[in-house]
Amino acid sequence: MDDIRKIIHIDMDAFFAAIEQRDFPQYRNKPLIVGGAPDSRGVVATCSYEARQYGIHSAMPSSQAYRLCPQAIFVKPRFDAYRQASQTIRKIFTDYTERVEPLSLDEAYLDVSDVQLHQGSATLIAKAVKATIKRETGLVASAGISYNKFLAKIASDMDKPDGLYVITPERGACFAGQLSIDKFHGIGRATARKMQALGIQTGKDLRKLSLALLQQHFGKSGHHYYNICRGIDHRPVNSQRTSKSVGVETTFQQDIKARPEVMAQLHSLLEKALEKAAEKRLAAYTLTVKIKYHDFVQITRSRTLPHAVTATTGTFAILEDLLRNTDIGTRKVRLLGITLSSLENQSRLTHFQQMDLFN
Amino acid sequence: MNFIINREELLTPLQQIVSVIEKRQTMPILSNVLMVIEDNRLILTGTDLEIQIVAKIDIGTATSGSITVPARKFLDICRLLPSGAEIKFEQEDDVARDGAKVKILSNRSRFSLSCLPADNYPEFAESEFEHQFFINAGKFKRALEKTIFCMANQDVRYYLNGLLLHISNSKLKLVASDGHRLSIYEDQLDQATGYEARIILPRKGVLELSRLLDDPDAELRVEFSGNNIRIFIKNLVFSAKLVDSKYPDFSKVFQQAFFNQIHIQKQQLKEALTRVAILSNEKFKGVTLDISSGSLRISTHNPEHDEAEEELFIEYAGEPLSIAFNAQYLLDAVSNLDSELAVLTIASNASTCFIDEPNDSSYKFIVMPMRL
Repeated sequence: MDDIRKIIHIDMDAFFAAIEQRDFPQYRNKPLIVGGAPDSRGVVATCSYEARQYGIHSAMPSSQAYRLCPQAIFVKPRFDAYRQASQTIRKIFTDYTERVEPLSLDEAYLDVSDVQLHQGSATLIAKAVKATIKRETGLVASAGISYNKFLAKIASDMDKPDGLYVITPERGACFAGQLSIDKFHGIGRATARKMQALGIQTGKDLRKLSLALLQQHFGKSGHHYYNICRGIDHRPVNSQRTSKSVGVETTFQQDIKARPEVMAQLHSLLEKALEKAAEKRLAAYTLTVKIKYHDFVQITRSRTLPHAVTATTGTFAILEDLLRNTDIGTRKVRLLGITLSSLENQSRLTHFQQMDLFN
Repeated sequence: MNFIINREELLTPLQQIVSVIEKRQTMPILSNVLMVIEDNRLILTGTDLEIQIVAKIDIGTATSGSITVPARKFLDICRLLPSGAEIKFEQEDDVARDGAKVKILSNRSRFSLSCLPADNYPEFAESEFEHQFFINAGKFKRALEKTIFCMANQDVRYYLNGLLLHISNSKLKLVASDGHRLSIYEDQLDQATGYEARIILPRKGVLELSRLLDDPDAELRVEFSGNNIRIFIKNLVFSAKLVDSKYPDFSKVFQQAFFNQIHIQKQQLKEALTRVAILSNEKFKGVTLDISSGSLRISTHNPEHDEAEEELFIEYAGEPLSIAFNAQYLLDAVSNLDSELAVLTIASNASTCFIDEPNDSSYKFIVMPMRL
């Protein structure tokens, strides 16, 4: 490769908790948990660094967090405030480059290969971005700098909080080799377990497997794994990323069981998911129902339809059908979710319009 | 329960039953076939709770009893035994040890299958049947073949995922539609029924049913109520729950002004459509028909800017018109015509197209156009 890219991964430190501590001085220097209440079935969305010392981390049930640290302050998330901060930060990014790929409210990739500022030094640009974020929002970010997305993301995690870490092209392959495979971004829990069963613990172990073998074991992802353990990742920073799916889910305060109640909940979740899709002007062809039973056993049922789903009218029968081979009605349910996928731009649909006899 | 049966007597009914049994089951017993021996008859039952098939086979040597066995395994065993093989079925008495087992013996093959007690097999709830009629299987199958390809599949308008069966005294009418096209087939029953009724058969049931009608000479007895249908086919009984809805009204499509009829050689039209469709948009299959006196031009183009065009000589005298369709819908309709000529009748606002045979035929297709 002749052109070495310069990619920055910016990751806000304890984003939700940091905003709460910024807006409410009484929370500062204290273990703070943003998420569900300790006596609810909610989980920790984010916690402050003070809380992390007690072993609390995000996605942990709030009840468990409470047991670890009873004196912790629990607050409900204020998504409007977080979205607002996120917008400010994104605006700062675009002052430096148009090539920004947001991953979530508090994370983004920046491709600064063509940026002339600061003599084109990615490290200096990252420093400047961090300083601007601090000045304009009062929040602290960590930056990872490398020559591709995979390594930049790992770098941002190396020196948290308030980190700035560079992985140079010379060190990239070595870095990926030493990394434990459960730390590989893009290798999930299930895949990691599968790899461990194959005797793979680190990137170095992964490198011993041939491309053909990886593809045989991991299908389409095999090639990506083959590359990343060598520190190679050609994925561009995509500023036009469109959603692949739109989903909503809810954990009930108390388990529900009766079929009509489950149906009613799914119906209202579907309504919310359709609203979200409509906001993005997307039409969905695939409908997925997620069910987590009271014992945390989780199943999904999905169906791809010949027509786009744009309204809840008539979806009752599909939902009913999706519940057919489930234990709904007999087994208690803790969580329900609806995901819409196989998304297509609504404007594309109107290009060729098949007329309908009954509409 | 013990019996001896020839493979050939068992295989076909077993295959028909296994076909309705869903592969993925949360109730394990639904993966099983219920076997009952009663009065020297073997009665096999399979269901997915929406559809049920029961087969009755006369049997020589047997001791009565009942059990359920894994349907697919049992079928595979019977299927792979040599043809004409004698199959001995023995229920093991020693159920206390590790659950119920059955032995299947044939020549030098021996199988032992785990099974579940028949007591837990779910009953297929049926309400009382109010109406009945009789029809020849060949006639019924033909009616199904002309319509079922138009049924919707997993449409949100769930009443379209089925077939409308309309009985009006001695008239039988079947209707299927996915909204984009509609097929109507009409026939006469041999006996007047004296009633009028409309029911919707579910899609899966219709597809299974048409598979059971392989003997055109069989006489069927059809019984139904508002919720259920039951059809006696020789030694089989097919039951299904009906779609609980009204079929949408489409009578308005007949009440409009039309262009003059267009007569086209069916074979030519089929071939031209098939060729032109090669370069149509893969997903929407749109083709444009430009019709003027004596000529039909079929053309298409796709996002890759490929283009195709064909011209046919047709019998048409009237105003020129242009209309676009999904080529596949036209092909499906035209392929189902028995006549040499296809007759297209297009509504004067180009909103609907009827396709039928020159002589007042017993069936009609409606294809809805596309706006390109």
